[in-house]
Parts: sequence; structure tokens; C-alpha cells
Amino acid sequence: MNASSEATQGSHRENGATPSALSAQNVTKRFPGVIANQHVNFDVARGEVHTLLGENGAGKSTLASILSGLYRPDEGSVLRNGKEVRLSSPRSGLSHGIAMVHQHFRLVDRFTVAENVVLGSKGLSFVLQPKDIEAKVSEISEKFGLPLDPRAVVGELSAGQRQRVEIVKALYHGAEVLLLDEPTALLAPPEVVKLFETVRVMTSAGKSVVFVSHKLGEVVDISDRITVMRDGQVTGSVKRGEANAGQLAELMVGREITLAPRRGTLDPGDVLLSVSQIHLSHDQSQNRPNQPNILSDINLKVCSGEILGIAGVSGNGQRDLAEVISGLRQPNQGEITVCGLPIVGLGARATRQAGLAYVPEDRLGTGLAPSLSMVDNLLLTRDRGFLVDRKSAFIEAEGFIKKLEIKTPGPLTPTRKLSGGNAQKVLLARELFSSVASRVLVVCSPTRGLDVGAVEAVHALLDDARKNGKAILLISEDLDEVMTLADRVLVLYRGSIVLEAQGIADDLERVGQAMAGLAS
Amino acid sequence: MIIGGTRIRLEARLTSPRWLVVVVPVFSVLFALVVGGVFLLFTGHPPIRTYRDLLDNGYTSFYGLTDTLGLATPLICTGLAAAFAFRMNLYNIGQEGQLYLGMVGGAWAGIALAPHLNQFIAVPVVLVAGALFGAFWVLVPALLRARMGTSEIVSTLLLNYVALNLINYFIYGSRGFFRDPTTPFPQGRLIDESARFDSFGTTNTYPTLIISILLAVFLFWFVRRSNYGYETSVFADSPQAARYAGMNSIWLTTSVLLISGALAGLGGAMYVVGPAGKVDPGLLQTGLGYAGIVVAALARYNFVAVIITAVLFAGLRVGGSALQASSDPVPIAIAVVLQGAVLLFALGGEIFRRNRVVVTRVVQTAKVEA
Amino acid sequence: MNSNVWLLTFADAISIATTLILASLGAMITERSGVINLGVEGYLLMGAVTAFVIGDSTGQLWLALGSAIIVGAAMALVHATLTVTLRANQIVSGLAMVIFGTGLSQFIGKPIEGKSRPVIIEKIDFGVLSDLPIIGPVIFGHDPITYATWLLALVISLYLHRTRPGLILRATGDAPATVDAQGVSVKRIRYVHTVAGGALMGLGGGWYMFARAAAWNQSATTNGIGWIALALVVFASWRPLRAIAGAVLFGFCLQVPFTLQGQQINILPSEIVSMFPYLMTLAVLVGLSTPRARRLLGAPKMLGQPFVRDER
Repeated sequence: MNASSEATQGSHRENGATPSALSAQNVTKRFPGVIANQHVNFDVARGEVHTLLGENGAGKSTLASILSGLYRPDEGSVLRNGKEVRLSSPRSGLSHGIAMVHQHFRLVDRFTVAENVVLGSKGLSFVLQPKDIEAKVSEISEKFGLPLDPRAVVGELSAGQRQRVEIVKALYHGAEVLLLDEPTALLAPPEVVKLFETVRVMTSAGKSVVFVSHKLGEVVDISDRITVMRDGQVTGSVKRGEANAGQLAELMVGREITLAPRRGTLDPGDVLLSVSQIHLSHDQSQNRPNQPNILSDINLKVCSGEILGIAGVSGNGQRDLAEVISGLRQPNQGEITVCGLPIVGLGARATRQAGLAYVPEDRLGTGLAPSLSMVDNLLLTRDRGFLVDRKSAFIEAEGFIKKLEIKTPGPLTPTRKLSGGNAQKVLLARELFSSVASRVLVVCSPTRGLDVGAVEAVHALLDDARKNGKAILLISEDLDEVMTLADRVLVLYRGSIVLEAQGIADDLERVGQAMAGLAS
Repeated sequence: MIIGGTRIRLEARLTSPRWLVVVVPVFSVLFALVVGGVFLLFTGHPPIRTYRDLLDNGYTSFYGLTDTLGLATPLICTGLAAAFAFRMNLYNIGQEGQLYLGMVGGAWAGIALAPHLNQFIAVPVVLVAGALFGAFWVLVPALLRARMGTSEIVSTLLLNYVALNLINYFIYGSRGFFRDPTTPFPQGRLIDESARFDSFGTTNTYPTLIISILLAVFLFWFVRRSNYGYETSVFADSPQAARYAGMNSIWLTTSVLLISGALAGLGGAMYVVGPAGKVDPGLLQTGLGYAGIVVAALARYNFVAVIITAVLFAGLRVGGSALQASSDPVPIAIAVVLQGAVLLFALGGEIFRRNRVVVTRVVQTAKVEA
Repeated sequence: MNSNVWLLTFADAISIATTLILASLGAMITERSGVINLGVEGYLLMGAVTAFVIGDSTGQLWLALGSAIIVGAAMALVHATLTVTLRANQIVSGLAMVIFGTGLSQFIGKPIEGKSRPVIIEKIDFGVLSDLPIIGPVIFGHDPITYATWLLALVISLYLHRTRPGLILRATGDAPATVDAQGVSVKRIRYVHTVAGGALMGLGGGWYMFARAAAWNQSATTNGIGWIALALVVFASWRPLRAIAGAVLFGFCLQVPFTLQGQQINILPSEIVSMFPYLMTLAVLVGLSTPRARRLLGAPKMLGQPFVRDER
């Protein structure tokens, strides 16, 4: 392993002999069926920003969880200031000054900012002193440039503000090392800038920050050091100034991104899906006026034998677009036709009957009912009549299991017992081959959280479907996936299409900039 | 938990073996009998003899069994009502009130409509009217739940008490339609003879029992095989998946609650068609609505099993009242104690269905603290 | 004369409110931790019969009330074991406890049926104050437990909103995963508050026996007050001080039928008046269902949900 165990000079290190603030030594962690971390070495110095970069499933979140005390390593050790520590829980991590800010916030919506920050603090007096608490919270938030009203109710705050609450909470509880898990995933660009400023303030105050991210572009600026992980192993580590996007990308994915793209061989045929001038505004009941539309003026066409990719950072309206096209939500205005039939206002069933199949991002829970069997799940999007025909679904299920090599005890096993890859195969099989003859397929992040083998299988299925003349709309936050599969790429940013590109690698930089909101 | 060098641990089962479906309820009953026995001993009643009498009076003697089946008839209905809603995670606990309204609806149809009807359809009309009134009583909670997400637990519970007061008003508080005009004594007005069933011979079992049993079997089949049953299963498991598949959650939620209310209402109408023949405040004392939930829970919301648990519970009640009348009177309440205890043990026993008990020797390991 | 009657009705309402407040405070702190306990009626009955039997055999008022508290706590311990540790359905477990409690109290109470209560809780004599017009009977005409109950509502309110454990309790009902992540045991919080809640319900039953019921009555000792207490929790939107106001209002509705009967007034049938508390609660429930109210007020979010740590 290309380990970085020899102390690398952090930007604010006072002298070279100081041990790392926090380090993982030779850490291995196994989960049933996967080795999430294999002999991993990682360290962060006092006052340093060290980024852990890698694709989804590379093992970086697992490593962060081990460093914060959520998981215990199967082998290896965690060192705090050079001394081995046994972290049995996030709480014990916190008692050693280590805190993790999760991607999904762990806040009580009905509490005020101040109440959330002090919740669980051992140093609190039995009778709360709201004034003192609010003053303390204000002090921290001012000191680190995290503007917050301590009396505001968290349920009414934006994602960026909630993240600030989480960070203030960590600092209040005495965190010296902060692990930020995909901290920019839910943030708007100005909020990202603000977050980076805060990170700088924190490191200059002597705190250490571990930045967990899969977004290559944004981490280069903020990091003093970047360590790249792939398949549970560290593949390389570079210092500030040495970082080169191309080199990092190669370390991340282990191949040139431009290699082996799958492309449609057919000339695109008839337009099967057409979306024009779609607008979608916020729900009135949310009571948040002055917010921009969720989707504005979306126009696109997908032809038979073509994959149209929609790239974009999470939370820019992808899910809403998929739901509008599949008839689950009604747009405020605009038209959608599936195989020539207008479907706006008809609902999900009619849209499906018009020939559209939809693979949602949340495969287990939305695409599949987790406690029901594969047989029952194949019935989900069928036209079922008054009595349910399980016999034919059973035969169909057996066929799919054989054809797609789905690993399952049998067609009657609940789908939640399948691995992510196998569950996705069930879902794709239903949406691609099941009795309803669909000609248009909307797919959202189809390989999120899957291992490499499953990713390949899913991509091959989509490629085959394209060759068979389906029109596929691929919506994914994984830029590589979009660039490898799609014939054309649209970039969605804040609910608008800001760029149209041909799916070739030359455009990678332009696409990346557009995703970051830098399109001209 | 570690006891004497042995670690006892629960491990989640992937599949629960079939035999547990029988073993857990049987042991629940046995443990409940032990608990009841302790109370009997303390109060100076010999448990074995008491239980033998209970068995005899509730199940094994001819009149005991037929009384039990008579009481089980509406109880099966309220049990089905609870099972139908609970299996979709809709906690309708208003069977009590829906049962009362079924009685009101049945009596109304029996008084107002039955005299004008052919005697073959008079009974069905009364039963349908009861079901409709029962469904009506859950309409507001159903709409609130489906449209606004208001907890149906509290709203259905509240309406039980409104219904209870309504019955009292009809019989004690007013001299209106439902009250017998021929006597100053407060009691309900009898429905038309054509709308009543005769019991089987001299027993207290009525032909409505057959309807209850057929209904249970039908629901068992319907939920497994019909598209509607399928959709409710999907919705119960994952509302998002149901939405994704284009199912109408408002319709599903509303209709399941309405059907549940109708089933309970049907139980009330059966009481009118059978033993009561009128709006009878005596029904308020039976607690058949709440018992329906218990019966359904014990049957694990399986419709056919509801028949068995309903007969079990009805037998306890019937046997209990016989005990009270015997030479060494044991309070009827012992039957209620047993009912509660059976359910408590059954709930506790669920853990063994979901988990396996693993007993291992503890290997001493030195704990290293940094 | 008429105003005097209504005044007495009101004073009576305040008195009857004591059991309602105790029971609903018990249900409230239980629910705040995320556990729903529908068994209140069973706890009240068991509390009442226990207090009667112990009071009858010892003549000790406080011992009798103490026993009622212990019985309530013990029943709640069973509920907590079933629902928190064994993750049984909370609604079914609560109802099972109603049935069990009803049956057992009637079983135990059979020999004492119709016997008049062995001890009574004396009203505190405030001397001149008790003789004051209006406020005399309304404010100064009650027993020590009633005053203690008011104080308790205040204490629980302060506990919930002004103390560190109260903060954790509120968080446990809303976001148990967050509490767990802070290293606090969700199970412990739920056990403690479920048991404490049961103890309050037991006390409510015991007090009712000695202060309101003249004798043990097999079928109608508590008259469904336990269910009203559950409605009151919703009516008070899980706030202890609002429970006092709500309990007096509900108590008034419970008493009005008797007053109307006594005065031969026939404006409204008493059965219709008795529906008011339930219908008012239903209205409050609807009001709490708007999206904004749901976000900020209303039931603890994870009420009724067993907590399982999310592990990979």
C-alpha cells in the first residue's frame, strides 16, 4: 500500500516531532461479503485539512466511522496524539476530542439551535441556564464564522444552516478533530464557500479537519493533503500544490476516465420521450416564499437507441425531474410526451402504460417493497386485474434469476435480504423486461453503493437496452457514470439545464464547471 | 446477559420456523393459566377444579359451547375489523364505537325498513345497514388520517366515547325513535320479527355465526389473492413503493379503515339480528370491541386464526360467568385476567419468533483499556 | 342560588381534575420518551383497588397510596419490558394491560364490593380562607394531594423545559437516534419515564378511590377516566401546565350532567354534554395536524416506534 505513515508536513505544524492529532494504523474492517478497509494508514496533523477522496463505496466513510468511534476496526489501531485509543462509541470518540459531522444530520427538528448544540453535554448544569447556553453558542458561532441564531428552531433552517449547527455542536462538545462526511453534498455554492472559510478558521485555531469527499474538483483548494482510497485501500497521497486533477482522478478510479466508454452503435431513432418547458415550484404548504423554482424551463428529448445523461450535484432537482417525468408529480406547467402521448396530469399508472419505466434512486423502499418477495415485487408495476397472478410472476422470477445471475435463495425470499447489486438487478429486470412493453426508461443513480462487479453488470444491462432501441434518460450524480454511458449529457444546476454536451471526455472540464455553477 | 460463565444472547432469525406459530400461543395460554392459578390460590379457590369447571362451562358441555359460539359471533367480526386495519399499520381502536353504531344502524333498518321488506332480504338489509353505520363512524378519522395524517389511534378512541354516550342518550336520555314507546322502563324498541334470526334449537348460537366464519375465510383468501389485498400489503410494507407504483394512498387508507369499521358494525348488527332484537345498552358492558383487538393480535392478524382466538376468548367469558353462579362463586373477572395475561405472554413470546436464544460459554478475555 | 350551584360544580370539577391530571401527566411523560401507553384505565383501576385493599387492612392512608404507586409502576415495568426490550406493539401491549388491570381489579375487588372506603383524604382546613366566597371552595377547598398534583404539573413542566434530563427526554421522543449518538441510552430513558408515568397513574387511581368514589364499584369505579386522560394528553398538546386547564375543563363537562340533573334543568341532555370533552379533543387533534403545527408542536415524532440502532 502506498501508505503515508511518515509524517507529512502540515501547513501549521509547529515542529516536526509532534505526533499526528489523529491517525489510523494498518486498519482493516470487514463487513459480511466486503472488506471495507484493508490495511489502511491515515493521519491528520494539528491545524491541517486532510481530505479523504474516493468514489462511493471506496471505504472512506468506513474509515471516518472508525476514526470517530462509530465502528471498531477488526485489525489495526487508532492513535490520538500518538497514543493508542480504544473508541467504543461516538461518545468515547468525543471524549477524546474527535467528532464526526454526518451527511445526514442528527438533529432534533423541534429544538432550538442552542438546545441541539448542548444536547447530551455532560458539562451542563441540572437546571438549564438558557441565557448562558445561548451566549456560549453565539460565542462559538461567531468565533468560527458560523452565523446562527441560537433561538431559531432547527426544523425551519436550511441544509447549510443545519450543517453549521452540527459543526457548532461538535465544537461545543470540545472537538479538536472534525471529520466532515461529504459536507458539500447538500450545499449551494455560496454555502460551500462559507463552509471553506469556516474550515480555514478552525484549522488556524489549531483544530484538525478530515474532509471526506468524492468530489474531486472542490477539494483541491481546501486541502493541505489529499489521500485517495479505492476498493478499501489507500492508492495514493499528495500534498498541497502537488495535486493534479488528472492524477487524482486516476488514483480514484484506477483507470483513465476516458477509457472504454460505452456508446450507442445505432443512429438515434424516433423521439420517444419529449419534455418541454417544464416548471415546478415549491409546495405552497411548505410556507417558504421567495424560493426559486425547483425546476425551471426544462427541455429535453430522448430518442430510441440513445442514452441521455443528466449530470449534476445532488439536490439540484434530479429527483424532482425524474418524478415529474414518471408522472408521480405534476409540474406547474409544461408538456411531456411518452411515445407521442401527452402524460402530464395522468398520474404514474397511465404514464407507465404509455410506455415509460422508472428505476428510482432509492431501490429498496421505493423501487422495491423490502419485506415482499421478488415475485410480489415483479407484480408491483404490472397491470394486475382483480386477482393477482403470482404463478406467472414466479416463473418470470425464476427466469430472471437464471438470466441475470441474481444471487438469492429463491423467488419467495424478501428483497431486503438481497445484496444491493442483486436487488438492483431485480429492479432493472422488472423495469426492462417485465410484461409491460416499456420503450422509455428513466434511471436514477443506478449504481450508487454497488461494488465494481455489480456496477459493470448494471452498465451492461443499460447498454443492451440501448442497443435494443430503448430511449434511456440516465440521471446520476456520478459524473463518471454519465460520461461513460451517455451519448449526450445535460447538466442540471439549481433546477435548470445549464449545459448540453456530447458525452466525450473533452467536455469533462466544461461539464464539471457547469455542475459547480460556473457555466457561462 | 451473563449468568455463571454462560452468555445468553438473542440472535435475529432470518426465518421463523412454522412450529413456533403454534408453540408461542399454546405456551402463552399455559403461562396465563399459571398466573391465574396463583391469584386463585391466594383467594382460596382450588385452581385445578376452577379450571376444570371453566373448561366444562365454556367449551366442553353442549350449552357451554353453544353459548360460547354465540358470544364469539360478533367477537369474530370485531377481531376481523382490528386485523384488517392493523395489518396495514392503521390502528383503528374504535371497534367499540363502530360496534355500537352497527347496533344502531341494524335496529334502525329493522324498525324502519324491515316491515316493508320480503322476509328473505330483511335480515341482509339489517346487516348491511349495521355495516354501513359502522363504516360511517370511522369516516371522519379515516379522512383525517388519509388527508392530513392525523393519528387514527386517538381519533377512533375518542369516538368510542361519543358512541357510548349516544347509545345512552337514545335509551336513557330521550324518548325517541329507538326507545320502546310501550313502557316507561328505558329499553330499546324491538325490530320487526322478519328481520330476526331464530337461534339453533334451544341454544344461544345464531346462524350469524356461519356468516362470521365465512367472512373470515373469505377475507383470508381475498387479502392473499386480490389486487386490493396486494396493494394493501405493499402499502403496509412501504408507502413510498406504493406511491411509486401509482397506488392511491388516500383511497387505500380510507377504504381499509372504512372496511374495518364496517366489519365491526356488522358485529353490532348481528347482535341485533340475533339475541338482542333492539338497541341494547347491555352491549356496552361486554367490551367486545376492545376484545376484538386482543383477539386479532393474538391471531397475529391472520383472519382464519381470528376464529380460533375469538372462540377461545368467548369461552373464557362464558365459562367465567358460569363460575360466578356456582356454589363456590369465583369472580367472573378471573376470565378477564386470563385474557389479559394470555395476550401479555403472547406479546412477550414474539421475541422468540424473531430471535433465537444462543447460549455460549464465556471465554475469559482480558480487557485492555488505553 | 343558581350561581352557587355552578360554583360548586366548578369546585367539583377542580377536584375531579386531580385524577385526570395525575393520569395524563403519567401518560405525557411516557409519551414524551416515545412510548405510548394506552393502558391508563387499567392502571387507575389497579391503583384504586390496591389503595382500597391496603387502606382497608391497615387503615394507613399513605401506605395505601404508596402501594397504589408501586402497583402502577410495576405494571408500567411490564409494559416497558414488552415494548422497549422485546419491541412488542405498544398499542396492543397497552390494551392488554387495560384488560388485565380491569380483570384483576375486579377479581381482587369482588369481596369488597359495596364496602365503603376505609379512609378518606381530608381536605386541608385553611380556616378563614376556606370560607371566602367563590375562591374559598374553588381554591381553598381541596385535599393535600390535589395541591401536590398542581405543584407536580409545574415541576414536570420545569423538568421538561428547563433541565438537562428533560432536554434529553424530549429529544428521545423526537429523535432517539440523535440521543443514542450522544452516548445516552434510549432504553434507559424510556424505561425510567414509562415506569414513572405508571406510578403517577397508580397514584391517580388511589387518590380517586379515597377522594371521589364512595365505595368500590365493580363496573364503574373509574368510569372511563383513564381514556379521558389519554384524550387530555392530546388536548394539552403534551404540555403539563395545559393539562391542568384541560383537566378542569374536562372535569367540568363530567360534572355538569349531575348538576343539570340535580337542578332539573333540561337545556341539554347530559349524555350530549358528556360528549364535549371528546369532541373538543378531536378538534384540537385536527388543529395539530397542519404541517407547521406538526413540525413544531404535536406528538413526539417517534411515538410508538421501537428504537433499533441502525447498524451495518
